[in-house]
Amino acid sequence: MLRRIAGNLFWLARYLERAEWRARLVDANYRLLVENPGSRKDELWPLLTVTGEWELFCEDYDTADERSILAFLTFDRRNRSSIASCLEYARANCRAARNRISSELWLEINTLHLEARRWNSDLLLSHGLMAFFAELRQHFYRISGLIENTLPRDLGYDFLSLGKWLEAAENVTRLLDTRYHFLLPHPRDIGSPLDFAQWTALLRSASALESYRNTYGNQIAIERVVEFMLFNPTFPRAARFCIDHLQSALKRTPGAWNGETEIIKSAAVDVPAADNLFNKLRSGTAAAAIAGGLHEYLLEIQNDCAAIGDQISAAFFTGE
Amino acid sequence: MHSQIDVESYAPATAASVRNASATGTKLPFSQAYLPPPGLYDEMFTSTGEVRPHYAPILPLLRMRHDELDEMRITAERSLLHQGVTFNVYNGHAGIERIFPFDVIPRIIDYQTWSRLEAGLIQRVKALNAFVADVYGQGNILKDGLIPRDLILESAQYRRAVVGLKVPLDIFITIAGIDLVRGDDGNFRVLEDNVRTPSGVSYALENRAITAQLIPEVLRASGVRPIESYPADLLACLTELGSERFSDPTVALLTPGPFNSAFFEHVFLSQQMGIELVEGQDLVCKDHKLWMKTVHGLRRVHVLYRRIDDDFLDPVVFRADSLLGVAGLTAALRAGNVIVANAIGTGIADDKAVYAYTPDMIRYYLGEQPILPIVDTFLLRHREVREKVLRDLDQYVIKPTDASGGYGVVIGPHATERQLAELRSHIEREPHRYIAQLPVKLSVHPTFVSGADGKLSLTHRHIDLRPFVLFGQRPRVLAGGLTRVAMREGVLIVNSSQGGGSKDTWVLGPSC
Amino acid sequence: MRYRIRHVTRFTYEMPASQSHNELRLQPRDSLRQRTLAFRLDITPPAAVISYRDAFGNMVHAASVHPPHTELMVCAESLIQREAPRELLNKERFARFLCDDQRRSQENYDFLSPSRYIPFTDQLKKFFWLIRPRMNEPVADYSQRVVAWVRDQFAYEPGSTDVHSDVTQVLTTGAGVCQDFAHLTIGVFRLAGVPARYVSGYLAPKIDSGRPLGSQASHAWLEVLLPDGWFGFDPTHGARVTERHIRLAVGRDYADVPPIRGVYQSAGKHQTMGVALEISEEPADQSVQDYGATQQ
Repeated sequence: MLRRIAGNLFWLARYLERAEWRARLVDANYRLLVENPGSRKDELWPLLTVTGEWELFCEDYDTADERSILAFLTFDRRNRSSIASCLEYARANCRAARNRISSELWLEINTLHLEARRWNSDLLLSHGLMAFFAELRQHFYRISGLIENTLPRDLGYDFLSLGKWLEAAENVTRLLDTRYHFLLPHPRDIGSPLDFAQWTALLRSASALESYRNTYGNQIAIERVVEFMLFNPTFPRAARFCIDHLQSALKRTPGAWNGETEIIKSAAVDVPAADNLFNKLRSGTAAAAIAGGLHEYLLEIQNDCAAIGDQISAAFFTGE
Repeated sequence: MHSQIDVESYAPATAASVRNASATGTKLPFSQAYLPPPGLYDEMFTSTGEVRPHYAPILPLLRMRHDELDEMRITAERSLLHQGVTFNVYNGHAGIERIFPFDVIPRIIDYQTWSRLEAGLIQRVKALNAFVADVYGQGNILKDGLIPRDLILESAQYRRAVVGLKVPLDIFITIAGIDLVRGDDGNFRVLEDNVRTPSGVSYALENRAITAQLIPEVLRASGVRPIESYPADLLACLTELGSERFSDPTVALLTPGPFNSAFFEHVFLSQQMGIELVEGQDLVCKDHKLWMKTVHGLRRVHVLYRRIDDDFLDPVVFRADSLLGVAGLTAALRAGNVIVANAIGTGIADDKAVYAYTPDMIRYYLGEQPILPIVDTFLLRHREVREKVLRDLDQYVIKPTDASGGYGVVIGPHATERQLAELRSHIEREPHRYIAQLPVKLSVHPTFVSGADGKLSLTHRHIDLRPFVLFGQRPRVLAGGLTRVAMREGVLIVNSSQGGGSKDTWVLGPSC
Repeated sequence: MRYRIRHVTRFTYEMPASQSHNELRLQPRDSLRQRTLAFRLDITPPAAVISYRDAFGNMVHAASVHPPHTELMVCAESLIQREAPRELLNKERFARFLCDDQRRSQENYDFLSPSRYIPFTDQLKKFFWLIRPRMNEPVADYSQRVVAWVRDQFAYEPGSTDVHSDVTQVLTTGAGVCQDFAHLTIGVFRLAGVPARYVSGYLAPKIDSGRPLGSQASHAWLEVLLPDGWFGFDPTHGARVTERHIRLAVGRDYADVPPIRGVYQSAGKHQTMGVALEISEEPADQSVQDYGATQQ
């Protein structure tokens, strides 16, 4: 497989994952707004801190109300991380790697991209945001299904996996971090309905609410949420699960050309950051992470993820 | 949001419509449908309005209601758009993707006509190949004075960098797209040759796939020759060239990248052939061998099917600012370690001035009479000819010698005074860059048109035909080719870059 | 006369360069009066080298160095036997010469037409008009007259033009170097209907006179096709070539025959080039065996 194509597949998966994560994030927080009557018009602004785009937003918009924030996060192409932008980049990577993926998958991604080009505030609001996001979710499920069911389990699939799991791991730490950092309740709010609602929204952003309840029951406690989102080995959006899967995809990739026609397996791929994070998440506990400062802990994981990305890129995408 | 409309769910209904619409008889009720135009050759109907026998199978299609036809057209075009069967238009903005408008009424060529065309095409490409080999080799045709040497040396398509370079099997032109037109006398002529990086074959194949969905029963009942083997044939030719020098050669397709107008085709062909689609950045020359950068290290490439112009292939020899190609490719060619198809420099054979000499070439190299005539062509480099043409400039079609894709063509009878004045000064400044031809009255074909005002009509539009000829150890010709149709009334330029559309092209088997 | 030539070109790069691909035209081009007895090319770091003849018959070495390097050194050594050029004996006059115009324009199209550095501008045409041939003048005499006249009109001034200047610059500034004189004079000959080609090469210094003009690195002159063959003229010196002119390659103009042309990849923008040229006379009886393998 060409190095450039491997990179295209990796980024295709990352952008798809990012688009999907952002869609869930906006959706869950919008619900929070709807389900808490009396909330203010600008209640969506914390989302901009989750995504780290507050400053970027302020450059282009005068007012931070529901309409402008939704526009910015959903379809504004000036925002390189809006859902529509992510889909555009996903589609561009997909197009470049077009002959490595199935026609069905390409058709689905291209169709979604063409739709995203038509999104605007009026369309979103007239359609109803809930319905809009519900339909968008269906697209993402279809795409995941097509990836699983129409692609051979070869190198191409492995690079898609690497991109997907790395992005997912990063997203979950960012989600936890911002909720913890910015929305850590005032002491007076602890245990109040709003706090409960916010943690519920967090779990819902990760489509984790039901699994969480199945594991821990109805009570939502910070330590358990952290345990579940970081260290759970069975939930697909938990950081540990992501890195476990990243690691096993990584194990499948090494090899070298034997002469001109044949690939021999060899263990020459160097991604030490992945081993590092893999071990960290296996031995970590929520109590220890919180005790040492959760923000610092999450930051460390984010740095590990960035290092993994760099090392994967150096090992597979750039150079010869 | 809309969910995407499934093409297949439309197909059976449409086929049923075709059946319902069929009735006996060889004429249409002209009052409400289609009138063959006087003075032009209509592919489907004789001048008296009788349907030509080989078109009988699709007569019911023309009897369908316009809204049914339109539904088919919309279904086809939506399917093309969603699948990304698009081309990019250069108009200063990057990333404008358009579909190639598709006309649901197929163009049909009977067996006998096609057999003759096929023989003529093979003969022609064989001669063009011999010409390229000669021009970069011994230069006999120049020594013998059949073609003036200065005409070759001054051509923008002549590549001094490959003089003396040998290629396997003496095949310089592996892939040729020869544009044919049928005049008002009903005879096919060669309009121009495309032997650099001809495109369009993927649209021909996609058009067939769409017809198969829209009117499967008609297609099946008509005995149409299949075309799906084209990618396999192309790969076979490329592999045959490679096998002359290497055992088990690796073939790759070189594309300029996603912003190129024909990127869809590059993806399509590489996918169908099962070969890597590479960009310049994926390649490297090392030890005068060509390699592609894979996740497992460098992998050798033996045959490069390139879809990049000569000028961009190798910054050492050609444009130093090009990032699309790969440095050192020409040296690797000289070392005999890689084969490039089509070979560098083949553009000399589709230079519009050289075109005028192609009948002589066929006689010179093959000792045969040309099967396919060309359009009468006047070289403006000759003073007397130039003066004659300039006197009646509005009677001629003027073409730049080194352009393709319809760019720069001026059709005298349709040009404004100002265009003509401008053209006149260009010709006077650089006469050798232009040729003149008498306009050919392109044949017309029933075409279903949705006008700018949304008005639907079944009317006649000008068409041409681009068949594709492959050369490996033996020639292979795609049965049919790409029929391009000028979607606007009276327009004679059918190129996609000039807003043309296309039709599926059916070649009937011997029994039909 | 026998010459030993050592031509060393050294490129140093600001940041490491890799994938360096070069076309070298450094092997002297033989003629009846110039023979290459030995030629040897050394490249550091080691390069993959192949050779072939270009469209004008020059020997080209394609050299590529793949791994990163901060310096590239190309050393070309030649041992050359050079005889004195032929005398200009043919006295065919222009009127007669031009009768063959049609044939010449076919056979020598490349050397009668404008080229990249020799466009037929109005300025060049006016300049040609000042030194146009007389019909009763022998072509050989005319050739000498043109070359001497060009030398008188322009100043030899290094730095007044650069390597990519065309005839317009030298006509405008009134000064240039050997390359510009060659281009300009070729332009005059071509307009007069005399095929003319550019020659890149070396000028061996006179032992007693220090370094002559144009010997900093390489020299350039031209050849014209007279009725009895190609003859070399050196417009920088306003005269015929001598046995000290050693020819490397010929082409339409400089663009066809740069001694080294190539590309490389590097994160840095700058490279510096240094050239060292040593030309020495050899006694004619010295063995050439010490060069080991000769042509590649």
